[in-house]
Amino acid sequence: MLANFIWFSAIALEALILLRGSTTGLLKKYPLFYSYIGCVLLKEIIGLITNEFAPKLYEPLYWPTELATILASYAVIIEVFRCSTRHKPGIRRLTQNALLSVFVLTVVYAASDLWHGGFASLSRAIADLGRDLRYVEAAILLVMLWLLMRYRIPLGRNLRGVIVGYSFWVGLNVVNLAFWFLPGNEFSILLRGLLPATYTITLAIWCVTLWSAHPEPVPPAETTIERDYEILAAKTQAVLARTSTRVARIMRP
Amino acid sequence: MSGLLVIIVLGTLILILGLRLVLQSSNAGAQSPSVTIEEFANAREALDTVFVEAAAIERIFSTEDMEFVSHASAPKAQRRFMKERKTLAIQWLRKMQKQVAELMDLHLRLAGYTHEPNPRFELKLTAKYLSFLLVSYALLFLLWLRGPFKARRAVAYTSGVAGYFCTVFSLRLQSVNAVDLGRDTTDIHL
Repeated sequence: MLANFIWFSAIALEALILLRGSTTGLLKKYPLFYSYIGCVLLKEIIGLITNEFAPKLYEPLYWPTELATILASYAVIIEVFRCSTRHKPGIRRLTQNALLSVFVLTVVYAASDLWHGGFASLSRAIADLGRDLRYVEAAILLVMLWLLMRYRIPLGRNLRGVIVGYSFWVGLNVVNLAFWFLPGNEFSILLRGLLPATYTITLAIWCVTLWSAHPEPVPPAETTIERDYEILAAKTQAVLARTSTRVARIMRP
Repeated sequence: MSGLLVIIVLGTLILILGLRLVLQSSNAGAQSPSVTIEEFANAREALDTVFVEAAAIERIFSTEDMEFVSHASAPKAQRRFMKERKTLAIQWLRKMQKQVAELMDLHLRLAGYTHEPNPRFELKLTAKYLSFLLVSYALLFLLWLRGPFKARRAVAYTSGVAGYFCTVFSLRLQSVNAVDLGRDTTDIHL
């Protein structure tokens, strides 16, 4: 009964997010994020229909559809990255390189892990692949969050909502998956039960923060300070070079 | 089991960073993320002050004064001298920590205006800043525990790293896209 309630709530929230997205114009602003929501909604509907009318199909369909949504969730990372670094070309290049490096490293690690683990069955192999893809996603997300924080990249309310909901979902999902693959662990059973509820909370976060369109932080306007700036920079450099040399000399033991 | 631990740490870090990002973005509403030329000037002045004080700092950690006081004064005066020097040293260190943190903050915000941030340089700077934090807090503990005269080597390291940050800061000025900088007021005294 409770499981069904959570299931229906998730579908309703996803539909509401898509509906609000189209009325507020956020759908055009964050197309990849809304594509992901659409993909999950489709998966939920397929799951609901098969569970109701063809229960035997539900289990073989579960992991492939889950894998598809995990792949689709990478779109959210791309969306966050695209929107947050829109006005920062230098940071965009830096972040892109860092994220690509993390992606390649974790994919290689996950692929070798998958290869050595062997393939007991197709559904198990898909489940393992889905888990590893989630780990890769988590590693990329962690690096991206760190870079966003480190470079004080200003975020609008909508984008902040997307990031918070996504971090909440991926963070808990990764911990849950780690326990899921440990057989006979009672804590994993508890977490598994909590996972649909956490997804509904994530959807609620997105629903609230994307209810209306909020303005993005405005990039600094161009000014005509170049000449003054060059003089200031030259003076600063001279002062700093002098003082740092002085301090290094004084403090040498 | 170690793999599980890594994944749990990864998930927990994501949750913590997500929360911190929200807090940081909420605070950023009050403080503009863009850097103004006035902030440059203020940072320069603040740094200048710290380094102009360098001669006085040398006296705080100088063993000559301690030797003089220990030979010529009563135990009560010696204790008072030690207490005063300790307070001064801790104040100086805290001030330096604050200045470097402000510089780092400015540097990171400025990185957004830089056309080509160098990943290797950025990594090196992060490592250096973390080591500075570690050593300066260790020094703070050492000062609190043993007084200013036993910590000269750590003081030298801390000052050296602070000097490095100053140099980095001045180099950063060269690679900033100045046209993107904002301005709060109209008067700048050069």
